[in-house]
Amino acid sequence: MLTVAEVSVAFGGFQALKDASLTVGAGEIVGLVGPNGSGKSTLLNVIAGVHVPKSGRVELDGRPLPLGSIAGVAARGLGRTFQVPRLAQRLTVFDNMMAGAGNQPGERLFDLFLRPGTVAEAEKANEARAVAILKRLDLLHKANGIAGALSGGQQKLLTMGVLLMADPKILLLDEPAAGVNPVLIDQQVAFLKLLRDEGRSILIVEHNMEMISSVCDRVYVLDAGSMIATGTPAEIRANDDVIRSYLGQPA
Amino acid sequence: MISFAIYALTIIAIWSVMAISLNIQFGMTGLVNFGQILPFAIGAYAVGIGIEAGIPWWAGILAGLVAAPLVGLLVILPARRQSQDYWALITLGAGELFRLTMLNVPSIAGGADGVTISRLGDRNLALGLAVGLLVVAYLVGQRISRGPLGRMLRVIREDEVLAATLGRNPMAYRMKVTVVTWAMAAAAGILFGYVVGYIAPTSFLVTDTFLVWTAVILGGPGRNIGVVIGAAILILLSVSTRFMAEWSGLPSDLVANLRLAVFGLVLVLMFLFRPQGLFPETREVRDVDGR
Repeated sequence: MLTVAEVSVAFGGFQALKDASLTVGAGEIVGLVGPNGSGKSTLLNVIAGVHVPKSGRVELDGRPLPLGSIAGVAARGLGRTFQVPRLAQRLTVFDNMMAGAGNQPGERLFDLFLRPGTVAEAEKANEARAVAILKRLDLLHKANGIAGALSGGQQKLLTMGVLLMADPKILLLDEPAAGVNPVLIDQQVAFLKLLRDEGRSILIVEHNMEMISSVCDRVYVLDAGSMIATGTPAEIRANDDVIRSYLGQPA
Repeated sequence: MISFAIYALTIIAIWSVMAISLNIQFGMTGLVNFGQILPFAIGAYAVGIGIEAGIPWWAGILAGLVAAPLVGLLVILPARRQSQDYWALITLGAGELFRLTMLNVPSIAGGADGVTISRLGDRNLALGLAVGLLVVAYLVGQRISRGPLGRMLRVIREDEVLAATLGRNPMAYRMKVTVVTWAMAAAAGILFGYVVGYIAPTSFLVTDTFLVWTAVILGGPGRNIGVVIGAAILILLSVSTRFMAEWSGLPSDLVANLRLAVFGLVLVLMFLFRPQGLFPETREVRDVDGR
């Protein structure tokens, strides 16, 4: 479903990615690990339309993604989160959720003023979905509070909820477990498995090997901009190259 | 005294429309438009130039309502990839460019002498029209504010990268806002021309933009009723300077200029002690419990 082929990115003289390739199949959870500065976030940003690569291809469902267009990539059904959660901090949790829904007639001037019925109908349908998702995330009781008042872990959960409102085919998650307490991590893991069972694909960048092992079907390892290994979480844990470059301790 | 009250209410209604227009731009969307007076001036000048050219009154009004949003799009286009600091400079520059052109090219609209418009003789009619326009502007502002569009505008205000991540093109929304709010400000300018009966470059100064900004900051950015009250307070303060001059015995020029100092003081105090304004933006509370 998602294909990244031989992507290279350079910032000035620094080669951030060298011919990096990966694939994520439909309904698959794929991990991307590697030491700090290995190019994980850069690769995520290339896929999400932030950076334009020097060379290489990025395709979703066999069609190239619009490189360098965040909104264009999102419109193709790709949702992403950030290391530091991005939310409309001063808006309520519920309004953040509602904003996540795509293609809203009420955002078009014509419909907003001349088709109030259509707008109200769409709002009602989105409200029902927002309530259902907040319930799954155990955030419904926070619905009327502002997003900025949530804890860091809850904000990460909420960003996933906001993305789900857009019903994405594939999710890119940038360090979802960083700075999150273990109980919320377990909640995230359960939630991600649920999403996979709905047929969504997920690509996770994460340092927490425990989380990677518990949710990922396959793992890629980046080191200094190059893919050095791929395999199941168990294979990766046993791989000498990976241990040397990343896990940093003899087996 | 009654006629003065009617005049004051008319002017308050006109500047309230300007405040709602800026509120949608800045309060909801975060657009720093320091050229808010420009669409107002375009509306007024369209009427003036129309009269000079001898076209029917309705054609001049229509020209103003169409020209202002088009100019707005033209002004913001160079700022599309820039931050709001640049947006502020570009809009400020555009407003001054228009005013200075009108001042220095007398063949367009009389230069410094301006243009005389047959003003609305019936003051009650003028008040009625101004209040009518204010009601329409308020309803439009409320519909945007409380609907899905206002929600996305606020997301763009808070974090435009987030809006893009949600598949929205922030610039497309800024263009929508510009079209609606610049037409709104143009309508206020058109009415202003007909009420005052005279249009000259001195009516469209940066300080007038500053007045609208003060109204929004004072009343509460993001809250339509708040900015209307903010505008009412400032205009009352403004038109009462003539009484203050009589009462204090100070020269009226001095008192009129002191007025600007008072606006500045209001801004500073609001930023320091109540940045959310007298009437802060509200949040919709939804009944989601028990579902």
